[in-house]
Amino acid sequence: MAERVPIREGTFREGPDGGALLANKCKACGQIFFPKAKLCLACLHEELEEVPLSKKGTLYSYTIAHMPSSFFPPPHAMGYVDLPESVRVFAPLKIIEDKPFDVGMEMELVIEKLGEVDEKEIIGYVFKPV
Amino acid sequence: MREVAVLGVGQSTFGKMPEISAAELGRDAVLAAVKDAGISPRDIQVAYSSRLYDAVITSQDVLKEVGVTSIEMINVENACAGGSTAVRGVWKEIASGHYDLGIAIGVESMTTSPIARKLIPPQKDDIEGQLGLTMPALFGLLARRQMAECGATPEDFAQVSVKNHHHGCLNPYAQYKKEFTVEEILNSRMICDPITLLQCCPNTDGAAAVVLCSMDIARKHTTNPVKIAASALLSAGYSWKRKDITSSPLGVETARRAYEMAGCGPEDIDLVELHDAFSTEEILRYEDLGLCKPGEGVAFLRSGAPALGGKVPVNPSGGLLSLGHPLSASGVRVVAEVTTHLRGQAGKRQVQGAKVGLAHMLGGFAVGLEAGACGIHILTR
Repeated sequence: MAERVPIREGTFREGPDGGALLANKCKACGQIFFPKAKLCLACLHEELEEVPLSKKGTLYSYTIAHMPSSFFPPPHAMGYVDLPESVRVFAPLKIIEDKPFDVGMEMELVIEKLGEVDEKEIIGYVFKPV
Repeated sequence: MREVAVLGVGQSTFGKMPEISAAELGRDAVLAAVKDAGISPRDIQVAYSSRLYDAVITSQDVLKEVGVTSIEMINVENACAGGSTAVRGVWKEIASGHYDLGIAIGVESMTTSPIARKLIPPQKDDIEGQLGLTMPALFGLLARRQMAECGATPEDFAQVSVKNHHHGCLNPYAQYKKEFTVEEILNSRMICDPITLLQCCPNTDGAAAVVLCSMDIARKHTTNPVKIAASALLSAGYSWKRKDITSSPLGVETARRAYEMAGCGPEDIDLVELHDAFSTEEILRYEDLGLCKPGEGVAFLRSGAPALGGKVPVNPSGGLLSLGHPLSASGVRVVAEVTTHLRGQAGKRQVQGAKVGLAHMLGGFAVGLEAGACGIHILTR
């Protein structure tokens, strides 16, 4: 079986519950960062704690690209999903035929294989319409 | 601080010219600017050059072609705002009294660069770029919000491209001199929904140069010099502070600083050259620059105000969409274009009676930031 590697270490966890995106939160001012920040970019405090983000959010915007990208053949969709923690995540979106994208629709996180590079499976995060 | 004038402007032909080196493109722009200024290349005391791809010692590389060596030469990069950064660099040198005359050069040979025929690649550590967030995708996402929030339609976006291609037909330097209809724009190949191919700026080779000098020197050459009334350059803030991606704190603040320095407001501007890398983007920039109220960019476009003959013609050159976008050259080229209009020398694309013009350029993208940098110069005569 091919080796599985995350697209970016520490950005998500996998698990039987479907996994979650991992952000970090400033212990002083509460600002949340995804991807994680080394120090708080709002107040410069150096202590941050890891927090999982909600799996569901609303679609803020989307586009369907008609040219290839690193992992996806055309057409492939991507968008911004607003999560309840006031974090806006950029992510690839799964195109589901009978659920066309619409600004404001509910989206759900999926952790899955994005593609293969050098015989390794690249695992990443995407969102799909609920 | 001393007043600074634009003494000479020049640009190379814009187009796909892989047989011409970046140094040669730069040389053509410098020679045109020096001739326009009525000076010898050896009168240049300081040079700032901007170039993004395969760039080392660009000033030296260009100026050795015109007999200029052994002066202070500085090479800068600020993504697509690099040209604005070079102009501002020379402006600071002269305003502060370090030098009396200098040249800003922007040059890019896209067809011979490592990204020839490609999109601008994401940086290696850019996770959003790896996940597919290219420039057209980013502007596709913005366009979707413009439609959701401001009532923009695909036809509005196409109209920007129709307008700028019309302007480009009047500009001998333009890469594309072809009129298009809204239908033709909308029916061209879909790139990133709702942005079609004819709403994206092309890959372009080209260079531009401007000679700046102290007002004392300028008055020896002309009785009515073009003055740099404002020079503003700002880097972007964090994107997590933005609730609404269609508003640009970077653009708004850079414009505010420029207007304050020039002692004027958007109502005083007679023409604008701005970063229209995508047709959808131009509508956002109307609002950043205060040409209309926030959220009213679409209405401003529909009113005809930004077309030649309208209240504030925007991109009379043809813009990046039609003239082409040699990345680092564009920030210098917009200053040259505005100067040409203020002198009344813009031929068929002339904005009649132009006294005050604004040259804008915006560039760069990094995860977590709104953009890279925004540069604005306001010129008066």
